[in-house]
Amino acid sequence: MSLPTLRGPRWVDIRLHRTTLWTSGAALLAALVYTGWLRWAADAYPEPVGDCLADKSCETFLGFASARELLYASMENGALALLLLPVLIGAFVAGPYIAREMESGVYALSWTQSISPARWLASRLTTAAAIALGVTLVLMGALRLGASKALGHRANLHWADRGVYEATGPTLVAYSLFAVALGTLIGFVVRRTLPAMAATGLVTGLLLWGMGNVRWRLAPVRTATGPVSADHSFPDQYPAGSFSMDQGVTNAAGDRFYVGQCLPKPQPGFSCPDDTEVTGWYMQYHPRSHFWHTQLMETGILLALTAAVVYAAFRVLRRRAA
Amino acid sequence: MTGTAIEAHALSKQYGRHRHALRDCTFRLPEGRVCAVVGPNGAGKSTLLALAAGLGRPSAGTLTVLGAGPAEARARVAYVAQDKPLHPRLSVADTLRLGAELNVGRWDMAAAERVVAGAGLDMAARVRTLSGGQRTRVALALALGKRAELLLLDEPMADLDPLARHQLMGTLMAEAAEHGTTVVMSSHIVGELAEACDHLLLVSDGRVRLGGGIDDLLTAHALVTGAHPVAGLAPHTVVESRATGRGVTALIRPEGPLGDGWDVEEPSLEELLLAHLRSPDAPVLLTPGTTARPAQGVTA
Repeated sequence: MSLPTLRGPRWVDIRLHRTTLWTSGAALLAALVYTGWLRWAADAYPEPVGDCLADKSCETFLGFASARELLYASMENGALALLLLPVLIGAFVAGPYIAREMESGVYALSWTQSISPARWLASRLTTAAAIALGVTLVLMGALRLGASKALGHRANLHWADRGVYEATGPTLVAYSLFAVALGTLIGFVVRRTLPAMAATGLVTGLLLWGMGNVRWRLAPVRTATGPVSADHSFPDQYPAGSFSMDQGVTNAAGDRFYVGQCLPKPQPGFSCPDDTEVTGWYMQYHPRSHFWHTQLMETGILLALTAAVVYAAFRVLRRRAA
Repeated sequence: MTGTAIEAHALSKQYGRHRHALRDCTFRLPEGRVCAVVGPNGAGKSTLLALAAGLGRPSAGTLTVLGAGPAEARARVAYVAQDKPLHPRLSVADTLRLGAELNVGRWDMAAAERVVAGAGLDMAARVRTLSGGQRTRVALALALGKRAELLLLDEPMADLDPLARHQLMGTLMAEAAEHGTTVVMSSHIVGELAEACDHLLLVSDGRVRLGGGIDDLLTAHALVTGAHPVAGLAPHTVVESRATGRGVTALIRPEGPLGDGWDVEEPSLEELLLAHLRSPDAPVLLTPGTTARPAQGVTA
């Protein structure tokens, strides 16, 4: 790879890690080609007709029911796998990108050239951030390319699902940028390649998991209620595509309880009202419109954390170098 | 008075709570010298050079390099750390390119290539495939290519066989002489640098014990032998004395004419250094040009 336009520390950042860049580029290309091909195949190959249980007529496409099935199954798994992307980015930045240079002592070479250590760090951070941004956007684009017709419609591609939620809005970008910053800080502090990678992966993963639970408290839930009908007691009137947080039934006094816990008689260990005659249902939910609200709140929190971590990394550097 | 390459006032560096790498060092190194920083392992030589190179900050005291703080002087100082750190996966050519990219406006590719060419190194070879001596050569090429005014070399010749050492020292001295570069080299082997250096800084246990031109330091001391008690040397500073036969042999700093009955000779550099290392309580001696000037308005 010739890098005629890169100069100064950025040339160094890229040159030192060009094998990783080539590998990542090849992986991105493979993901795009795979998705594009399946999307084409989904329209080009017919859906199966006939009784799937009686014969094998469903296995029309590489053992899957159809090319579309394979496409959507891939996208479901791919959306979940995208949650690993910030973890991988963070681990790479923490280990091979930063800590290895601390561990091997090569930082003494980097910091005694004519550019200041602060400029060196700024270059490292911006190079990694730019590449993390590019990789994340390309993979998010691949998900859109493959699943655009199914997002929000197919059961495992619901807008609020883990993976899908992050990868269809700005939060995944924010996680990737946060991972770059955190990896840099931990690489600096830990100064050993493998422990730094493990620590960064762990912290990034915990944050992804934790925020996945917290994000639904960033917007107040709405509540829908309605009367039960003769044949069922589940919610049947609420905005399409809503994300249910809680649902159950109410008695005449309006006390909430769950059918499975309190009927036909209260199960031990659960609190049930005295009156367990079901008169209505309730559901607490986030409407589709909360997507952008929570996305922007979460992105804002992550970017603030990123800024704090970057600041901390420069503070650590100030203690290590004059 | 010539310019000042390095000047330290009450310089201290502490790692953690209890490890003092440097304690209260005050000295001055004039520009244009080739200075050996000698002392036993763990004396604080590496810490001193690293601080001058802008790696780390003093715990107390001040350090100026080429008249500025180490951070401001960074572009004018080249530093080779003891373990010769290089990016192992870069080729020799790319390592020199790195020097060019990180020292825009200063880099002298021809000078760097001259140093590398001396060993018949393959420019396409990766650094990790090089021998210790070849790595030293590449590290020195990076330092010399920077065209620095001050070269800080931490144990530069430790990995080299005598022939390569002689050859590389020759290259180094020629480049330094041609450009008037100040060179500061550390070593724990006393004899290693003696012939190349004209200046000396003896560091032990984190303190500067001796500093000055090598000739000045040698003439400031005398090795005396006589059939007298040590008390007979009273007006002079006795660095070290030991009983021999019917009298004593002592390394002293004469403060005037010696009395009769003493055989006087000039000590060798090795005798001078060993006597000081064996006598940690001997007073510090800095020759006038090596004494830090009264504290300037710079603080840590």
